[in-house]
Amino acid sequence: MRVKVLFFGRLKDIVGRAEDSVELADGALIEQLFAHYGARHPELARFRASLVASRNQEFAAWSTALHPGDEIAFLPPVSGG
Amino acid sequence: MTFLSDDLFRLVSEPIDAAALIRHVRASEDGAVVTFDGCVRNQSHGRPTLYLDYEAYEPMALAKIREIAAEMHAKFPIHRVAIVHRLGRLQIGETSIFIAVSAPHRPAAFDACRFAIDTLKRTVPIWKKEYFEDGAVWADGELPPAPAEASRAKPAS
Repeated sequence: MRVKVLFFGRLKDIVGRAEDSVELADGALIEQLFAHYGARHPELARFRASLVASRNQEFAAWSTALHPGDEIAFLPPVSGG
Repeated sequence: MTFLSDDLFRLVSEPIDAAALIRHVRASEDGAVVTFDGCVRNQSHGRPTLYLDYEAYEPMALAKIREIAAEMHAKFPIHRVAIVHRLGRLQIGETSIFIAVSAPHRPAAFDACRFAIDTLKRTVPIWKKEYFEDGAVWADGELPPAPAEASRAKPAS
């Protein structure tokens, strides 16, 4: 299945892109999607404890299962206002 | 009866027109309008700031701002809410966020406005990068609360 992936703030700088599309095994979890990028970007993996994920624009647990066409984003600590 | 459609939420790239937002929330049944004007400070931890860049996960940020307004209406007897956040490059002294809340009586307007900015700073996916003479950093922020993880225990089979 294919999902869309978005990176924001410093995560975008680390990965070098704001948006990606990736093919994953059916039933993959957000955790596994993050591991996919963490393996390619060790600095990203180090931020694991200080970021949250969202699925289709709602905050989501790492254990959330992905579905085809999902929009997943990895969000560093927010600093708006 | 207050309808959320009277409220106004925007992410904008141009300067925020604060007076227009105050006019938007203010009606004849209101006895108070409380506003919050968040502006770009000239230093961060004693280091002189040149300017800021704000970015957002725009559709999610707007959805989260709408959720904050819904919570404001549920918690406080207020009338209307306007919340506008600016994105892109902002210079020292410019307004990055403006919140206006109207209510028949001032306590609710004060409380709701405070609730709005405090919640926004914790839950809305917006980020700022601070530029200094000798470099730039993403500002330290707050990690939004994520849903609890599902149990990893597997059922016995």
